This record gives sequence, structure tokens and C-alpha cells, in this order.
Amino acid sequence: MPRGMKIILAILAVAVVVGLVSLGTLQRRVQRLRQSQTAEEQARHAVLAPPISTPSDVSVKAQIFWSGGADKIAPVPLNLPLSADPVQRSRQLIQALIANPPSDAQRTLPADTTLLAFYILPDGTAIADFSDAFSSEMPSGILSEEMAVNSIARTLESNVDGLRRLKILIKGQEVDTLAGNVDLTGFFDLNSNLGVVPTAPNASKKGSQEVFGDACGVH
Amino acid sequence: MRLQVDPKAPRPALVSPLGGAHRIISAILCAVRNSVFSITLLLFLAQAVFVLAAPTVQSFQEGQPQPPPPQEQPSVPAPPGAPAPAPPPAGPLIVLDPAHGGTDSGARGEGGLAEKDIVLQIARTVRAQLERQGYRVLMTRSDDSNPSYDDRTALANAHRDVIFISLHVASTGVPGTVRAYYEQMSSAAIEPSATTTPRSRSFPRRPSNTLIVWEQAQRPYLEASHHLADLIQLQLAQSFSASPVTSTAAAVRTLRSIMGPAVAIEISSISGSSRDVLTGSGGPLSAAIARGISALRPSSAEVK
Repeated sequence: MPRGMKIILAILAVAVVVGLVSLGTLQRRVQRLRQSQTAEEQARHAVLAPPISTPSDVSVKAQIFWSGGADKIAPVPLNLPLSADPVQRSRQLIQALIANPPSDAQRTLPADTTLLAFYILPDGTAIADFSDAFSSEMPSGILSEEMAVNSIARTLESNVDGLRRLKILIKGQEVDTLAGNVDLTGFFDLNSNLGVVPTAPNASKKGSQEVFGDACGVH
Repeated sequence: MRLQVDPKAPRPALVSPLGGAHRIISAILCAVRNSVFSITLLLFLAQAVFVLAAPTVQSFQEGQPQPPPPQEQPSVPAPPGAPAPAPPPAGPLIVLDPAHGGTDSGARGEGGLAEKDIVLQIARTVRAQLERQGYRVLMTRSDDSNPSYDDRTALANAHRDVIFISLHVASTGVPGTVRAYYEQMSSAAIEPSATTTPRSRSFPRRPSNTLIVWEQAQRPYLEASHHLADLIQLQLAQSFSASPVTSTAAAVRTLRSIMGPAVAIEISSISGSSRDVLTGSGGPLSAAIARGISALRPSSAEVK
């Protein structure tokens, strides 16, 4: 074998060894980058939606409704510290719904969604005010939008007593649709077995301006 | 010179310069006036009798179907010497609504797939097949425009005896499945007295002389819409395996103000299917829609 060929083969062998070594380093670097992205997302959530804890928190097995397949939602039992106050309890549940899906495939609300405010009116109407990401990052379609709304409605009605209906706002405003299909101008029934929603005169007896708990977040 | 008038002097009688001729002319004019009045009165009475006896007004008062409204001209003109066109068909008018359009692309898939384009192509296929079966069909859009929800609704509500079908493609769901949706309204918004009776399940009466809240115009037709959605879904389950056999209630924005049976049909999904597969579903989709509608309301051809 000529000497030149030997030199070329030696250089190639060294290059292969160096490539193999750097491949491992590259993999570790990619993994580190992924972890930092997740940490970044967690940090963003911690700032935008800090965990809610109240003195009356008790650890309970809550039923959170995430995606249970491509076209349905299903309850997932989850141990959560939940407040006795219905407003704080609802906020804790919705935050868990957004932040803690068992897998990305089971997510029903966009990851960047933030609950800006939550109120409960005396007639049992729950008002949930979400950030713009809930609408802008929601995949368009009747199925996906309906699953998102249903996951919120079923999670609330399974874990909070006395709620009759749900109103969804985006950045404090009533919007036409969630992502082009599902109507957000009306109300969504909760606990329909509780009967007809009380009318305004009944509500006024208790004080129609009264709001259970405090508004949270931006408002 | 001063003019003096004696108040006691007898007043001169007013005499026409024509004398007796004036009386004759007055009598003729009076006779003409009376006869014109009589003729006008007779015409008015005849018109009133005709209007009361006319079937359109009678059916309107009884909430019965109206004669077909003016429809779009056929796209292909009749050749010279062809036999006289058949009378306009009876039966329901199908309003096909390809969702989204214009700047609103709807669901988006890989390679620039957009829901707005696919549903338009499917709607054209469905329209052609339904027309072949004798149905009258209108589309809320036939190009890349984006009429507002109210514009689409107004187009449908301008006609009587309408069946509204909104076509969608989902971002998610099991690829190859199709779902039919009917409007779901909050129970707080539903007055039990306003829902349809069992008699009117397949053909609810359009309120004739009551004010209708635009946002809840679908309310009297909820049962008919549910029935139609179930009929179509049953057909879809046979054509598209793994599709559910019963329809789904959902608060679909396009449906809430339609004055007639209204259904949204959504194909899954833009992320897991190619353009050809999605647009190719137009054939079986139109067959399922036609069979569902036919079970609810037969077309003119089937009536004959």
C-alpha cells in the first residue's frame, strides 16, 4: 500500500473517532437544551400563574378531564390540594387542567393559556376569563374547541358544588367564537341535574352584585 | 267719487254665463266621478277576495311550506330548440355552507393545506350530487370569500323550507371519521313552550306573526336539527368506518340563528390526511347527506 494512502486512511480513522466522541457530546447538549426549555416553560408558568394555596387547602382526589383519545375527554384522578372556597378551588382546578396533563397528547387547553380571572355569581354562574393564548393557540375545529370547553366544564362540575353554568371570556371580553367554530357568546350548562338556572329576581334576593371570593389575576 | 253700497238692496243672483249647459256638465262630471269610485271599490273588493283565497297567504297563516322562492339559474344554459324547462322543483332548499374563507383559513395542515379550500371543493361535489337527485341547492360562498356568520344566516333565512348544512374539516380527531353536530343551547336560553311539538319534528312550523330573537332563531328547530343530524350521522357511520353512530350537540356559532333544520358536518382531520383523501370524501359525504335529508324530507323527484 502506498504511503500516501496510509496517511489518508489514518486521517479518516481519526476523523471517525472524533465524530463519534462529538456525537455523544452533541446528544447530551440537545438533552440539556430540551430540559432548559421545559424549565423555561415552568418558570413562565410560575410567573404568570403561580400556584394557588389557601389556608383551607385539603388534599383530595380530584377528577380532571383531559383528552381520553382523539375525540373524547375522560376523567383522570389526581391528588390536589384544593381550597374550600369555590372560587379558589375552581382556579386551582383550571390551573391543574392547563399545567399538569399526564402527556402532551392528553392536553385539551393550549400550554400557554393563563386563567386571568374567575368569579362565581350568586345564581351559580361561573365566569372564567382566559388569556388570549386560549383562543389564538387553540387548533381550529368544532371537535377540538368543544373538547376544550367540555374539559373545563366537566372538571368544574365534578369538583365544585353549586355551579350552574359557565361563561368564558377572553381577556375580559365576550368573543364570538373560541377558534372560529364554538360559540362563546352564550353559557355552558353545568350540573344540569340541579335544575333550571334561577332567574334574575331570585338572584337579586341574595344580592345580585355579590361575587363569591375575590377576583384573581389581572382583574 | 265714492262708492256707496246699500245694505238693504236685494243681492243679484249668481247666474252662470252658460245657463242650463252648466247643470248638464255638472251632472255628467258627477256621474263620471261616481262610476270611477264604484269601479275602484269593485276592484278593491275583488283584490281582497283574491288575496284571502290565495294559497300562499293561507299557508303563510297556517305555517305551511311556501312555494319555492326564486332560485339560482342553472349554470349551463339550455340549448336552442330544447324542450321547455321543467317547473321549479318543490321540496326543501339545501343551503351548503363551506366554513371559513378569505383571511380565515380555518384548520391548517401540512404543506399549506387549509380547511377553507377543502370544504369549498367538497361543497361543490356535494352540490352537484344533490342537484342531480332533484334538490335545490344554494351555497353561502362559491369562492375564497368570507361572509360573516350573519350573512350566511341571512342567505338561508331569506328562504322558506330551508335545510342548512355547514361543512368543516377538523384539526384533530381520528383520521377518516366524520361527525354531525346540531346546535346546543344553554337550558337558561330555552323556553319549553317554544320548542317544537312531536308533530313538527321533521317539519317545524316557521312562526308567522311573532318576533324572533335573531341569536336564538334556531331554538324552535332544535329537535328537527337533532333528528336530521342523527339521520345523517347514521349514514356517515356506514360510509366512514369508526365514525360515531349518533350525532353530537355542540354550540356551533354558524347554526344558532338558522330558521330551519341545521347541521354542521366535520371531517377528521386535516393533520392526518392528504388533500386527495379529504376532498375525495365529498362523494360518500353527499350520499350520506342526501339519504339523511331524504329520510327527513323527500326531494321533489322522490315525491313524484
